[in-house]
Amino acid sequence: MEDESEGSLSPSQDSIQTPAVLPWDRFSNWLHCACVVTFDLELGQAMEIIYPSHIRMTEKEKMNICYLSFPDSNSGCMGDTQFHFRIRQCPGRKQIIKSHVEYNRECPIQLKSDDAHYYGFVFFRQTKDRSIRRGYFQKSVVLISRLPFVALFSQLVSIIAPEYFENGEPSLEAACHDIDQWGPPVPGETMNLPIFGTVLQVRIPTHKDKLVGAGQTRTQSVPTLPAQSILPSLFEVDIYTAFQTILPHVQMLWELMLTGEPLVVMAASPSVTSNTVQSLVSLISPFHYCSDYRPYFTIHDSEFKEYTTKTQAPPSVILGVTNPFFAKTLQHWPHIIRIGEMAGEASVPKGFNKLKKASSLKTLDCKPGVYTQYKPFLMKDKGILKRLIKGMQTKRPVEAQNAILRRHFLELTQSFMIPLERYMASLMPLQRNISPHKGPPSLRQFDVDEFVKTLHQSGPQLTSIVKGEWDGLYRKFFRSPNFEGWLYHRQYEVNQKLQVLHMEALCQANLLDWIQDKEEVEIVDLVLRIREKLKFATNNSVAVKPENINKLEKHMTTIISSLPEDLQSVLNT
Amino acid sequence: MAAGPYNYSYIFKYIIIGDMGVGKSCLLHQFTEKKFMADCPHTIGVEFGTRIIEVSGQKIKLQIWDTAGQERFRAVTRSYYRGAAGALMVYDITRRSTYNHLSSWLTDARNLTNPNTVIFLIGNKSDLEAQRDVTYEEAKQFADENGLMFLECSAKTGDNVEDAFLDTAKKIYQNIQDGSLDLNAAESGVQHKPATPRTTLNTDQQPSDKGCAC
Repeated sequence: MEDESEGSLSPSQDSIQTPAVLPWDRFSNWLHCACVVTFDLELGQAMEIIYPSHIRMTEKEKMNICYLSFPDSNSGCMGDTQFHFRIRQCPGRKQIIKSHVEYNRECPIQLKSDDAHYYGFVFFRQTKDRSIRRGYFQKSVVLISRLPFVALFSQLVSIIAPEYFENGEPSLEAACHDIDQWGPPVPGETMNLPIFGTVLQVRIPTHKDKLVGAGQTRTQSVPTLPAQSILPSLFEVDIYTAFQTILPHVQMLWELMLTGEPLVVMAASPSVTSNTVQSLVSLISPFHYCSDYRPYFTIHDSEFKEYTTKTQAPPSVILGVTNPFFAKTLQHWPHIIRIGEMAGEASVPKGFNKLKKASSLKTLDCKPGVYTQYKPFLMKDKGILKRLIKGMQTKRPVEAQNAILRRHFLELTQSFMIPLERYMASLMPLQRNISPHKGPPSLRQFDVDEFVKTLHQSGPQLTSIVKGEWDGLYRKFFRSPNFEGWLYHRQYEVNQKLQVLHMEALCQANLLDWIQDKEEVEIVDLVLRIREKLKFATNNSVAVKPENINKLEKHMTTIISSLPEDLQSVLNT
Repeated sequence: MAAGPYNYSYIFKYIIIGDMGVGKSCLLHQFTEKKFMADCPHTIGVEFGTRIIEVSGQKIKLQIWDTAGQERFRAVTRSYYRGAAGALMVYDITRRSTYNHLSSWLTDARNLTNPNTVIFLIGNKSDLEAQRDVTYEEAKQFADENGLMFLECSAKTGDNVEDAFLDTAKKIYQNIQDGSLDLNAAESGVQHKPATPRTTLNTDQQPSDKGCAC
């Protein structure tokens, strides 16, 4: 196996282009591996199977997966429990998945293949079994991936795990072989994904999707396979159900998420914590939540000390926890969400609207709610709450409630985002400042005060009815990792674009005329700059037209041939 | 507006010379990438490195020619020397032979460059103190006798590398300021283009309309 993989790398540098497919290549377009974690009476949680078997993980990664694949407290997780987690990848021996390079260029930023974390999708089964000592069967099937396709992989593990529990290892092998037939994820395409004789159909979003109503722009291609199961989304979770018990506070949570505040979600089951944490992260979409988040976090986690230390201020992360021990450990955290069971669907519980002081939270037996002293910058939009409560009373389907809530926050986030985008556009250099004989012009610096001044004219009030201290919210946002991440990403995109424009200018310029009266050093400088451009072009083959590359190569050859012979031989080596 | 990252008012041409294996390419790499290259292949012909630095508020682009140290390449290196504003002459403090060859490298440099070319002597691998074969004092004396600037550096740790490149640039810039380096002379190795139309290259003041449709 090792020989084979080496062989694919060595012959040519641009192996991205070579179509040779090795066994498990297609599988790894989607999953890193599938595992079975069991409870060994001697060892505790233990990794029973890793499939495909050549996959190597560090002891630390295995340990984290083992602990996170089981409920953390011995609560009544009888039967089947499904949830997901996120762990750090150990540094080193990064394997680059070819298809992900292309995928990452086209996908929405929050769906990028993550090269620092793994996502684990767990199906845990606990049943009484008299044939086993202690009388219980406890096992988990876990799918590990770099892709945050929460909806798809949750669905997938719910298909694979029961088969495995029924028929054992061969079914896991069969499932992996099925996945190894899947085409690579292509943004914008609707994929048919066969698994155990059924076909999952799901559309992969692209960064070009219109923001409002994303996911509805289905491609024209009619599926040729009869899809038994159409997933409405690759990654979206049911945020309505997640927030049902704390609905009046969701807008405040949106602010906390936007500004990267530390947050802990406590609940009795990892299903609840993972769904809630995932919902929180998606609340600020299309912004990418840039800090760490752990849908499910245990006291055994390798980052436990780092994240719970009291010697520093709580880090900008979101943790989902079930172990009552955390109520004490994380007492000092500024914002705590406690999710309980919803008593009756139609009734609005008492104290629904009240915030609770963090200090009153001592144990996990506390009442559900949001514990914080945070003062929101924006005034609560009561309209949306009324609409949702009415929906509860009229028994509107959960899907519809979810869609209403999602759309509301998408619009709110966009209202926040539009002024930023508009200001960003004003930082662009003018087309006429792009000169082939100067460096590519760059973006002006993002100036916070200058931006805030634009808000009176063209702030969120243009698109949102929500009133409040928007300036203050922006200023807090500017101090968060989310702003840094957004700015970096936008700058990167704009600079790529400028590079391309600059390259085009260089292609159009009459360079031979220009070099007539130039010194050798300057001409060499020009040659070096063209070389740099060509390097950029080969690394960004999508953005640059091939005829421009040809033109530039020709330019360079002519320039070099106009130089003294000894220099020609130097530049041609 | 929009001073791009490649806008600069001078280009200085540097060459790096010296025996094979003294660490010329590693010095260049350390200076341009701020990283040590552990397994560096032999340089064949010439490699270029560039970096923009600032001296007295002026942005200067260094165009650094890294030559092959092997003897068989020495014959074809005339174009390397032509127009160099700075020459970094490197030996390895742990190998005396590389130090002994300096006078022949210096002869080449003197004969093939112009009198104003700043020559900087670098004793590389200063991190290998235990294996030292050439003392600091001895090399310092050689430098002084020949009017060279001198530093011991380590491409591995990065120690003094930045200084060698920057001090050379400062010296060249000073020569320009006090008029001892005539920019209009051919092969000065320095390009500056502030005033006349043919000199609008790379200045950030005004874009030139000449010849470049943009």
